[in-house]
Amino acid sequence: MSDKKTKYKEVAYYPGCALEGSGHAYNRSTKALGKALGLKLKEVENWNCCGAMEVKNIDPKLQTYLSSRVMSIAANKMKMDVVMAPCNGCYHNLKKTEYELSHDEKSREVVDRLSQKAGHETYQAGQVETIHALDWIKDTIGEDGLRQRVKNSLKGIKIANYYGCMYTRPRHIFPEKDQGPGSESTSKPHFMDDLLEAAGAENVDFPLKTACCGGAHTLSDSDTSTRLVANILQAAEAAGAEVIATECPTCHSGLEMHQIRAEKTLGLKTSVKIIYFTQLLGMAMGLKPKAVGLHENVSDSFAFVKQKGLA
Amino acid sequence: MPIHEKSLIRPENLEVHEHLEIEGVDVSGHWSTFIETRVVADYNEALEDEIAALPGGEYIHRCWQCGSCTNSCTVNALNPDFNPRYWIYLIRMGMESELLRDKDIIWQCVSCHKCTHVCPRDVVPEGVMKATSHWLELKGHTPKSHSMIFDEVFSEQVFETGKIEDGRVIKRFFKRTGQALRQPWMEEMVKGMLRNLPIGLLTRMGLATLVAPRTKNWDGAREAIREYVEEREEKNRKALGLDELVQAARNEI
Repeated sequence: MSDKKTKYKEVAYYPGCALEGSGHAYNRSTKALGKALGLKLKEVENWNCCGAMEVKNIDPKLQTYLSSRVMSIAANKMKMDVVMAPCNGCYHNLKKTEYELSHDEKSREVVDRLSQKAGHETYQAGQVETIHALDWIKDTIGEDGLRQRVKNSLKGIKIANYYGCMYTRPRHIFPEKDQGPGSESTSKPHFMDDLLEAAGAENVDFPLKTACCGGAHTLSDSDTSTRLVANILQAAEAAGAEVIATECPTCHSGLEMHQIRAEKTLGLKTSVKIIYFTQLLGMAMGLKPKAVGLHENVSDSFAFVKQKGLA
Repeated sequence: MPIHEKSLIRPENLEVHEHLEIEGVDVSGHWSTFIETRVVADYNEALEDEIAALPGGEYIHRCWQCGSCTNSCTVNALNPDFNPRYWIYLIRMGMESELLRDKDIIWQCVSCHKCTHVCPRDVVPEGVMKATSHWLELKGHTPKSHSMIFDEVFSEQVFETGKIEDGRVIKRFFKRTGQALRQPWMEEMVKGMLRNLPIGLLTRMGLATLVAPRTKNWDGAREAIREYVEEREEKNRKALGLDELVQAARNEI
């Protein structure tokens, strides 16, 4: 635990494409939270897309190459040994690449061939460790550290913690999970619950923590995504949640978009707020709503956070 | 043969009697459904090899039909006809015409990875779904799905510039699929975004859709990817015998 505490204090930061666009609020709040907690981020120089779901669908090995280039820069150019990716998609793809490169000879061949042609060093499995923003906060500051630093407690806010698909599945690309006490669980993840609870929040028992929001087809099969999101929103409200805390830009945008769409197309109105966990923690640490990009969310939570004494 | 599980039987092969009496016994109701007996003879023995040759389909041969994939499937919960276990079975058996009955829904896999998570044989069913959708499109059984068009619009941008700008992807996707960008829920969403955003941020977002963000020193990677994609496409065409198919179609005309 303590070696992670020092190791994760300064990490290579891989925001990814979504955090420069629709998920900018997550980018802003992650940086602001890190700064408030005294953690350092060094953005991966000249990074590229991890390949996302879309390139993976065209050819999984191309996605492996794209992700490996990001890790190669972090390791070989920046001499970093930890890459932190807040986006579940990026995090998943980097983890998957690590797995493929340590298990699959063909993936190693393709990555090596493409890296050589592209003119950069080939990433070798094990050169960096990829972590999520949740690991980053949990292992450096931890629950005790957060408790000591809380300025505006999240007391009285009922939260459903939503982790989505890419953070825990499939289990074999996350060898550090399901390793007993202290480790993350793939069936019932709890890192976000732990952190928000330390900041004073009241977590509700939410059965759809790892349900799918249909993010892959959010535009190409919107009706399916709307039904999946409607399930999540309704289950959160039924569990008594006022807020769904998110840790993935695709899930976050999907929930926001299909909350509106469910109302327009299914006549199903829900009022649960959708807020990034970094925004919630940031406000708990005393940051202003705008400093954590609350104005960049689609859904309007200003009145809500004011009412809860966070603004 | 009386049956009670009908969902996998072709409707035209089902025979249902309102009232039926056999040898003086009333068998009306549950036991009055019969299947027309038939012999399947139209196998495509190459089907499994073809799917396995496409990216994502490599491990289909490992399946032992436990059904964990279908049991865990997000889309199956919405539509019981979405049945990865059954499709893998059909592909391995070479039962192409049966598979084609579901050709219009296979692309709907949302890649939630629940199947890959629970599969005890590392078949990567999610990958098989993607390979099967590609196969259907490459063989001309289905038009390109909206999912495939989205993947292409997205990937083209990544290959070209190294990264994507999501506003631009969305616009191109709507254009290429012939959908209007102005949909009521979309307008509502944009209104929601504009409510609190300062002018500076709006300008930055507007600029990003005009001037695409680019990864520096991307030329080498772009070229390497282009070569790889060409090589891969050639391989797929060969594995599926597409050139022969096109030639055969030409000869018929």
